Amino acid sequence: MTEKISRRDFLRLGAAGAATGVLAGCTSPRRWVVLEPFVRPPEQQVSGVATWFATTCRQCPAGCGVIVRLMNGRAVKLEGNPEHPLNRGKLCARGQAGLQMLYHPDRLSGPLLQSTRGSREFSAIDWNEGINRLFQALAKAGPAVAMLGGATMSDHLFDLFSKLLAAVDAPPPVIYDLYTELGGYRTLAQAMGQVYGRAALPAYRLAEADVVFSFGAEFLGTWTSAVRYGVEYGAFRSQPYGKRGLLVHFEPRQSSTAVTADDYVAIAPGSEGLVAGALLRLIADGNLGLAGRAESARGLAPSLDVEQAARECGIPLEALQRLARRFADAEHAVAIPGGALAGSSNGMHAARAIEALNVVSGNAPAGVNTTPPDLGLARKSLNTFADVQSLIARMRAGEVQMLLIHSTNPAYELPEAAGFLEALAQVPLVVSFGAMVDETAVWSDLILPDRSYLESFGYEVVSPDFGSPVVSSQQPVVTPVFDARTTGDVLLTVARGIPAAAAAMPWDDEVDYLNQMVAGLPEAAYPASTAEEKRARFQQHGGWWPAPAVAAPTLRPQPFTVTAERATFDGNETDYPYFLHVYPSVLLSDGRGASLPLLQGVPDPMTTIAWQSWVELHPATAERLEIRDGDLLRVTSPHGEIVAAAYVTPGIRPDTVAIPAGQGHQDLGRFARDRGSNVVQLLGAALTDEGGGLRWNGVRVALARTGKRIATASLESKVGVTEGLGYE
Amino acid sequence: MFSSLWWRVGRFVRTSPARLFLLAGVVVAGALALSGSAAPAGTTQPIAFNHQVMVQAGVQCLFCHNDALRSPSPGMPSVELCMGCHKTIGAGRPAIKQLADYYARGEPIPWARVNYVPRFVYFSHKVHLTAGGLNCENCHGDVGHMKVVEPVARMSMGWCLDCHSKQTNAPQLRDCVICHR
Repeated sequence: MTEKISRRDFLRLGAAGAATGVLAGCTSPRRWVVLEPFVRPPEQQVSGVATWFATTCRQCPAGCGVIVRLMNGRAVKLEGNPEHPLNRGKLCARGQAGLQMLYHPDRLSGPLLQSTRGSREFSAIDWNEGINRLFQALAKAGPAVAMLGGATMSDHLFDLFSKLLAAVDAPPPVIYDLYTELGGYRTLAQAMGQVYGRAALPAYRLAEADVVFSFGAEFLGTWTSAVRYGVEYGAFRSQPYGKRGLLVHFEPRQSSTAVTADDYVAIAPGSEGLVAGALLRLIADGNLGLAGRAESARGLAPSLDVEQAARECGIPLEALQRLARRFADAEHAVAIPGGALAGSSNGMHAARAIEALNVVSGNAPAGVNTTPPDLGLARKSLNTFADVQSLIARMRAGEVQMLLIHSTNPAYELPEAAGFLEALAQVPLVVSFGAMVDETAVWSDLILPDRSYLESFGYEVVSPDFGSPVVSSQQPVVTPVFDARTTGDVLLTVARGIPAAAAAMPWDDEVDYLNQMVAGLPEAAYPASTAEEKRARFQQHGGWWPAPAVAAPTLRPQPFTVTAERATFDGNETDYPYFLHVYPSVLLSDGRGASLPLLQGVPDPMTTIAWQSWVELHPATAERLEIRDGDLLRVTSPHGEIVAAAYVTPGIRPDTVAIPAGQGHQDLGRFARDRGSNVVQLLGAALTDEGGGLRWNGVRVALARTGKRIATASLESKVGVTEGLGYE
Repeated sequence: MFSSLWWRVGRFVRTSPARLFLLAGVVVAGALALSGSAAPAGTTQPIAFNHQVMVQAGVQCLFCHNDALRSPSPGMPSVELCMGCHKTIGAGRPAIKQLADYYARGEPIPWARVNYVPRFVYFSHKVHLTAGGLNCENCHGDVGHMKVVEPVARMSMGWCLDCHSKQTNAPQLRDCVICHR
């Protein structure tokens, strides 16, 4: 609105408004409050009294327990489940936004057919026709079926997909999404496999720690199980007898975890492993710390010149020595490898070096040793980017006749260089199970919308767990809001027509499947005498967990070597002077939250910007390039370019620019569409040195002003926060 | 934006002064539409429901408003509850046919609210009926003799205090936070 209201116009408007108000105010406005009773009330419904149901949050793969408040049969509020051993009654903003996912105005009601891919012209079909089409295509494709899934898919659904694919002799599902890639899930699990002999996502107990060294782990923002880490962090900072743990955070950009640290060290991008290697070297050579630590470090420390390493990492040698002493002297010191290092070329090396610090201090992570495998439950195993690449190669070679996609959005999440969309063109039938039309559904032929997680059944073997196994229960808390159908039931219906699948999947529906699963669980923390009671309690309490907590066996490190590998970056220093630091947005995470206005509207904790994309850069960089806040910058990498507004902050290294993931959607509903830029477009499709991960933290970029400016929608003035304090 | 709008409105009136009356009419009609109370309550109900007939037939208040004893809200009867009797009783009457139509369509009946307490007041039917020892008619009047239910009291704060201030044995009932939590 550029035109201004004159004083006269204002008075005229005011007078007219007052006249209308007086006339309207002659009688009470109560008559237009309509009372709508139920047609058929839900069972045991008491008007005006809330009912609560326990289920599992599916906004990220952590598997927190939630309880949902229902008024008159409608879900009105989510809270953390106080009984749940993982999140203990706490819930994050993304979890709270689950209601908007349930009631989203752009959710699909019923299956859709798209005659021309990418046309966005869908025709509605009924469920029988949709399921029939899926069945006929499956029967025709035979073993040439592939499935690409995301980490938030319920474990029971993963099992059903796996069984269906196995029945038609097709390869198992590929589980991959940007969220777990940015969290380094797969790389860290592989590193744990090398260090402790069991590849599982680690969880670090902070509650009893004296000193915590976080190597870019955003554990108070998005990393793995952020809500539980919030609980752990609270205990870590207020221990018995007034003891307060010390947190040191190493990261090129100051994240929301970094600002809470006692000591924030802005290290060079990709140098996390080098810092850990140098610390090991200093402990070994200086004979530092409690008894046995130096000897242990001598067996693990890589051969490196500490002075040179300190220079490369951007830490003064004295500071590094002080930190090494601090770590070695602490009785309970913990080192946490974060998600960002997993995206560097040397990610596996760095993860091993950081875990070596834990081996030296004798504090193995939880989660790797728990969740006894004899539980016999199907659970998702994540795939690497290399696995996705081989799927894409199969698609390109015409070996895939039918692709099923659930809980992941590869058209948005994969770098263009991965060639997903070109390969998709070679697949005759693409079926999406998305609840909304996302970027991938636009390139699919058939959409069979799944229900939201608040309307459907499921379970999740919690990973990482913090020392005790948890099977979190998911159940519908409301009658479905839209005419969507659970994918589990769709798959079971289809399986009936395929003899091998019918034999492997003998359940009537997914509830039948879950009942059998629950019947096989060992004794839980709560009493349950009959099988029926066991099922009811499983849903009532929000899952299964043992009582007392199963004592975790001690982890014994296996022989492994630590090497000091340097990270490599795409682009030369002259043309692309800045390192690109990509990070998952605390609210939108990898982009899945962009569809929810609550998450779009909540200001980012570090910049207070909402609804937009931005580029964080150091005041020195800004001064050199004459950039001010809100200047639209063209960010160019060897792989692509995007435009985003500048945000000048001292909380970043001068040689680095940071861009959050999450915006820049072309689809995914009205709140996500055409807003900001997708940072993935700057990335290449190269692999890390080891482990087959995407090298998303290995790109250099150039900045250029476009000459345009926008006002950033930020909540907070910088004056007195980062400006006017001498940083400029 | 606003100035151009006013310029257009000004031109609209200037070209023919009689249009000023038209404009005034639009404002009045808009105001009445906003107030939503141009007609008396009885005629605004979607079905001409007669409380008197129900009470005289021996139906207790709590048979339909069955949450009043156990919830802050008395509850409006579900369409299914109405149909429980009216599937057979009075099935041929026009109003009952209307009811059956709602049920067949699976639509709720959009009843107009008659008694109104502002949203910022914490009011509980349960407490008034149990601990308070009141009956429905103490606040709602003799509904059993009303063909069309009308409010018998303007449920203002003064009206509440008429009773609350007399509760000498329970001084907490005069505390602000008992209703304004």
